[in-house]
Amino acid sequence: MNVFFIIVSVFLLLNIALGLFRVWRGPTIADRLLTTQLFGTTGMAILIVLAGYLQELTLLNVAITFNVLAILLVIGLVKVWKIKKGDTP
Amino acid sequence: MSILIDILLAIIMVYLAIQCLLTPRLIQSVFLFFAFGLGLALAWVRLGAIDVAITEAAIAAGFLGVLFLDALKSFAPKVSVKQDNLEDIYKLPRRNIKSLILPRVILVLGLALFLFIALEAVWMIPDGGGLTASAEALLPQSGVEHPVTAVLLNFRAYDTWLEIGVILLGLLGVFVAGGIKLYKKPGASKPDPMLRQVILFVTPVLFLFGAFLLYIGKTGPGGAFQAAVLWGAIGILLHLGGKPIFAMIPRWLFHLILTMGLGFFLVLGFLLIADGRTLFEYPPAYAGLLILIIETLGAISIAAALTAIYANLNQMEEETNEVEPTT
Repeated sequence: MNVFFIIVSVFLLLNIALGLFRVWRGPTIADRLLTTQLFGTTGMAILIVLAGYLQELTLLNVAITFNVLAILLVIGLVKVWKIKKGDTP
Repeated sequence: MSILIDILLAIIMVYLAIQCLLTPRLIQSVFLFFAFGLGLALAWVRLGAIDVAITEAAIAAGFLGVLFLDALKSFAPKVSVKQDNLEDIYKLPRRNIKSLILPRVILVLGLALFLFIALEAVWMIPDGGGLTASAEALLPQSGVEHPVTAVLLNFRAYDTWLEIGVILLGLLGVFVAGGIKLYKKPGASKPDPMLRQVILFVTPVLFLFGAFLLYIGKTGPGGAFQAAVLWGAIGILLHLGGKPIFAMIPRWLFHLILTMGLGFFLVLGFLLIADGRTLFEYPPAYAGLLILIIETLGAISIAAALTAIYANLNQMEEETNEVEPTT
């Protein structure tokens, strides 16, 4: 069972590494934002898998913290975006 | 086998850190820093420091991301309304290489010194685990069951008290820089209906989870600072949604909320001294209750300070934008 947890975590980490390509290249700002959100989600998945692997349920608190705060970045970015585009004064 | 995870994590983090510093675009830097924060939280988990992981997750994912995005606004040069491509705006101008040699040498020397000190510090950790044993031995007297909370709020309460003060000092710095006017802007933009729904949905979740983290600090990882960031996120969300919360309450209440945590700590310390004890030496019978009160008041104060820092910085930028003609 432990091997299973480790393989899943490594797979998810590799997903993050692949996503980095989009942050680096990302033609538009939205691509980068979505990649960052993908990082958040994948990171949560890794935390949940690690919670099973280490038998440490408090890791779920870390995952929830990420989850509830991820929305702030999106809203903040959309606000900056709007001001730059001149939609709002 | 689990070393595979650690190695992969280490490679990703070093790569992220280098990219974050060297990337030519500021917006890319911000996103890479967010990803770096995530990697750092995972690394703390792997090291077994779950308290630090929660703090890192809260501050890196929530507070710093929003602050940096906000700072980007003032770094951007004047943009025409037509220019849709945001990417090129944030490109840093190329500088003459010669003018950068001295700063680079100083930076490298400083980093080398820092690395040396860090290695020295790691080397010097005593074999017996330092003060772990004595902290564990006194745990029953501290009033809480989680060793980290016991150290932070009982054994080394003085440090935590000063930390709350440091955040307040940061806010004072923002005030001094000219962001003290917290009036509601008359021509505020219309509230976005979607943003309103998001805020209505997220605010109770943030509040409840913050309260949960605050209370769970007694028995496990969590505590005042983590809860404060979550509660501060509520204030920031309300501010983003066009409801500057500190413009709605009277000034004295705002100041009371800001200084409540620091003040209660201070008064408690003096009362304990008057009782013939040393500063922050709680009587063991009431220690648990006192720590809970301190943590709650401290969390509210820190949350208010974080919100006020964000709100004031935001307001300063809006004022500058008005003065400078943006065409």
